[in-house]
Amino acid sequence: MKLDPRTKLFMILVVSLIVMMSATTPFLWAIRLSITLIPIVLLILEKKYASALRFLLAYSTALVLTFFFLSAESEGIVASLLIGYCGIVVQFMPALITAWYVVRTTKIGEFMSCMQKMHIPDGIAVSLAVVMRFFPTIKEEYSSINDAMRMRGVMLGGGNVLKMVEFRMIPLLFSCVNIGEELSAAAITRGLGGEVKRSSVVELKLGIADYILMTFLAAATVIFVVFKYFL
Amino acid sequence: MSIIELENINFQYKGSRDGSLRDVNIKIEEGQTVLLCGASGSGKTSIIRLINGLIPHYYSGELEGEVTVDGHDIKKTELHELAGTVGTVFQNPRSQFFSVDTDGEIVFGPENIGLEPKEIKARMNDVVAEMNLEEILGRSIFDLSGGQKQRIACASVAALLPKIILLDEPSSNLDFDSIELLRGIITEWKRQGKTIIISEHRLWYLKDAVDHVFYIENGQIAKEWSGEEFTSLNEDEVKSYKLRPIVLEEELIRQIRGDCESSVCEIKDAIELQNFYFSYKKKPYLLLKKRFKESDGDLLNLNISELRIPKGKVIGLVGPNGTGKSTFLRCLCGLERDCKGRIVSDGVTYKGRQRLKLCYMVMQDVNHQLFTDSVRSEVMLSMKEDDEERCDELLKMLGLTEHKDTHPMALSGGQKQRVAIASALASDAHVLLFDEPTSGLDYSHMEKVAELLQRLASSGASVIVSTHDPELISECCDYVLGLNHGKVVYLKENRKER
Amino acid sequence: MENKSNKLKAKDFITIGIFTAILFAVEFAFGMLGYIHPFIVASYVVILPLASGIPMMLFYTKVEKFGMITIVSVLLAIIMFIGGMGYLGAPLIIISGLVADLIAKSGKYKSFKKTVLSFGVFNLWICANYFPILITADAYRQDLIDGGYSAEYVENLFLAINVKTIGILVVLAFAFGCLGAVIGKAAVKKHFEKAGIV
Repeated sequence: MKLDPRTKLFMILVVSLIVMMSATTPFLWAIRLSITLIPIVLLILEKKYASALRFLLAYSTALVLTFFFLSAESEGIVASLLIGYCGIVVQFMPALITAWYVVRTTKIGEFMSCMQKMHIPDGIAVSLAVVMRFFPTIKEEYSSINDAMRMRGVMLGGGNVLKMVEFRMIPLLFSCVNIGEELSAAAITRGLGGEVKRSSVVELKLGIADYILMTFLAAATVIFVVFKYFL
Repeated sequence: MSIIELENINFQYKGSRDGSLRDVNIKIEEGQTVLLCGASGSGKTSIIRLINGLIPHYYSGELEGEVTVDGHDIKKTELHELAGTVGTVFQNPRSQFFSVDTDGEIVFGPENIGLEPKEIKARMNDVVAEMNLEEILGRSIFDLSGGQKQRIACASVAALLPKIILLDEPSSNLDFDSIELLRGIITEWKRQGKTIIISEHRLWYLKDAVDHVFYIENGQIAKEWSGEEFTSLNEDEVKSYKLRPIVLEEELIRQIRGDCESSVCEIKDAIELQNFYFSYKKKPYLLLKKRFKESDGDLLNLNISELRIPKGKVIGLVGPNGTGKSTFLRCLCGLERDCKGRIVSDGVTYKGRQRLKLCYMVMQDVNHQLFTDSVRSEVMLSMKEDDEERCDELLKMLGLTEHKDTHPMALSGGQKQRVAIASALASDAHVLLFDEPTSGLDYSHMEKVAELLQRLASSGASVIVSTHDPELISECCDYVLGLNHGKVVYLKENRKER
Repeated sequence: MENKSNKLKAKDFITIGIFTAILFAVEFAFGMLGYIHPFIVASYVVILPLASGIPMMLFYTKVEKFGMITIVSVLLAIIMFIGGMGYLGAPLIIISGLVADLIAKSGKYKSFKKTVLSFGVFNLWICANYFPILITADAYRQDLIDGGYSAEYVENLFLAINVKTIGILVVLAFAFGCLGAVIGKAAVKKHFEKAGIV
C-alpha cells in the first residue's frame, strides 16, 4: 500500500503527540496500542516482516514485563535496569517504529516533493534529505571501521576511554568528510543549487487510504485528549 | 569551432603540487571520444575538473588561461548552468549518489533543472531502455554491487541529455563483466554523437572506442595519438609509457572471470583450511547460534570443506563479483563470527578469534584501518610491546622512513596501503589478505604493489590477494585460486612474467 | 572556497546534512545510556557535549557562513520531534542554535574564543529537552508512574531534574560545551589539520 508522505508526516505528528501524553487508563492504553499497531501493520503490508516482528516482540515483551512483573514499588539494581529499558521501549517505541516505517518507505524523491508542497525552503529540504541518506552510510562506514579495530585488537583502545572514542570517531569523520566532498561535487554537476525551482517527478496525491488513515489518527488524538484531560 | 577548448592552461591546487597543470592546450571536436592517460597525479583528473567547472568553482587554486566548453566561458559560468551541457561520471560509485533509491537517482538531475514531470518520465524511460536497467530499478543503492551502481551513475548523467560526458576513472572499482557493460554504454553514447572524455588507467576496454588520446605527464601533454596510432602501439611501447596493456590475452580474461576447468593442484608446504561455511541469507536463530554446514548447499555464500593454501606464496583470488571473494577473506581472518572454520598452520590449530591474530586483511578502502596521528604510532599500535627498532626496520623496508611523523591521512593512496602493510607485519600476522589492492592504480604503482607482495611472500608469509586486475596476476601471483558461488573451482600454479 | 559569498550554497546544505547525521548518530549512541538510570539523563549535559565536540569543531571549520548552526538546530528539533521527544523544547533548541550561530559569526567563525563560547551555548539545546519535565512537572510525574515507570525511577528523575537543579544543569551544559569545544579543537588540530584536510 502506498501512502502519501504527508500522511506519513501526519502520522509521526500524531504518534509523537500521543506518546508524549502518557496513557493513564485502560481505555487510553487501548488507543495508544492501536496507534502503535498502525505502523507495524503498515510495515507488514510493505513486506518488511522481519522488522515488523522484531518491533512487535520488543514492544509486547516490554509491555508484559511492565504490567505483570514490575510495579511502582520495584527496587533493586536488576529491576531498575529492567524498568529503565522497559520504560524506553514502552515510552518511545511507538514513535521509533513510526519513524522507522517512514524513513524506510519514503524515497528521497517523494520526500523532496512533499517538502516542496509544504513550502519548506529547498536548503532545509536538501539538508534533511542528506541526513536521511547519510544514516546508512554512517552505518556502513562504522561497521568497516569496527572490523578494522577488531582485526587490530584495539576495540577497547588499550583500556583508554578517550582512545576508544578517538579510534572510532576519527576514521569515521575522515570517511564522512571525503564522501561528503564527492557527494556534493556529483550533486552540483547535476544541477543542484540552481536558481530554477526544482521540479519533482513524484506527483503527490492523497488517496482513499490516506484520508481514512488521517481521519482515524485525528479522531484518535481528539478522543485521547478529551478522555485524558476533560473527563 | 571546437566544442571544448583549453588554452594555455596553468593550474595549481591550493596547498598541493599534485595534479597541477602546465601549458596545457587541448581542442576537442564535437562527437569525438577522447582518452586521457598517464600516471596517477599527472593531472588527468584536473583536466576533467576544468571541463566540468569543478575547477575553479569547487576546488580552488591558481588558474591561468581560458576554458571554453560549448560556448560557455567556464570561469564565468556557474556550475549548475552547465548541468544540461556537461555530465560527469565519477570514480567512486559509493559516494556519488544523492538518493537512496535507484529511480530517484536517475531523475535527480532533471528535477534539479526544473523540467516538467512528463518530460522527466519520458527521459527516464529512454535511459532505462537504452542501458537495460529494468532489473535494478526500485532498489536501494546500498544493496547494489559496484558495477550496478556505476551503471545507475551513468544513467543519472545521461538523463540530463548532456552533449559532453566526462568519465573520471570509471572502471576503478569494477569487475570484468561490469567493465564490459560500461564499454557498451560508452559505445552507445558514441553512437548518439556525444562528445566523450575518459580519464582512465585500464585501457583494453576502450581501444575500439577512442578517436584521440592524450598522454599526460607531470601536468603536461607529453604525447598525442590518434585512435588508430594508439591501438597499433606494440607491447614494449605501451610499457615504456608505463601504461597498462591495451590488449588483454584471452587466457588472462578467462582466468580473471574464474572461467577455467575445475582442478585443484597438490600443495606440499601448506596452511590448511577446514570447514569454512558461511551464509548471509540464512541467518542464525534468534538466540541459538546456527552452525552452517555443507548440507546447507545453495544457501551458502561460502562453501569450502577443505583447502590447502601454499605457504610463502602469493595466491590470486579470482572470480566474478558477488561470488564470495570478500566473504572468503572475511571468514578466513575471523571477521565473520558465525563462520566456524579452522586454520591449521605448523600443526597449530586456530579457530574463532585466534584467526584474527594469525591473519591480517588490508582492506580495499584502507582509510578505515588507520587510527592514529602518525605513521610511527600506527605501526606501534599493532605491537604487543613497543619495539622501536623493529618499527624502524619495517618502515625502512616499506620505504616509509621519511614519512615517520606524517599523519597517515596526509599520505597518498599507495603510501597508506604500505602503512597498513607495516602494521600487519608488526602484528606478526602470517597470513596476509589483500582486498583489491590495485583497483584504480596506474601501471607503475601496480608494479610496486606486485613487487611488495612478492617480497612479503618470500619472507615466509602466505599472501592471498583478491583481485580483478589481470596485470597484477600475471606480475606476481604464484597460484591462482578461482571461486564460484562460494566454492573452490580451481587452484593452480600461475606462470609469471618475471 | 573560491566563492567568498556569505550565502549558503548547495554544497553547504549537504555538509550541514552530513554533520547533523553524524551529530545525531553520536548522540543516539550515548543517549541510549540514559535509560539505565535517571541520573544519566541528567548527565547528558556532560556526556553529549564531550562526545559531540570533535565532529562539531570539524563542522565549524567546514562551512563558516551564517545559518550553519541555526539549520543544524532546526534539523535537530525536527529529529527530536520525530523521535518522540515532543515539540515543547523545539523553540528552545532553535533559539540556542541561533544564538550560537550569532556568537560564532561575530568571530567570523574563526575566533577560538567565540567558537568555544558558541559551542557552549549550542549545547543548551540538551537542556531544552528537559523542558517538558519542568513545566508540566506534576502532571508529568503522575504520567510517568501511570505509564509504567517505577516510582523509584521517577523520583530519581525529578530529584535530578527540577526547577532548582535546572540552573546547575544549564551551567553544566554550557561549561562542558566549552570544554568539549576545547577538546574537539585539539582533536581537529591533532588529526585534521595535520593531515591537511582543514
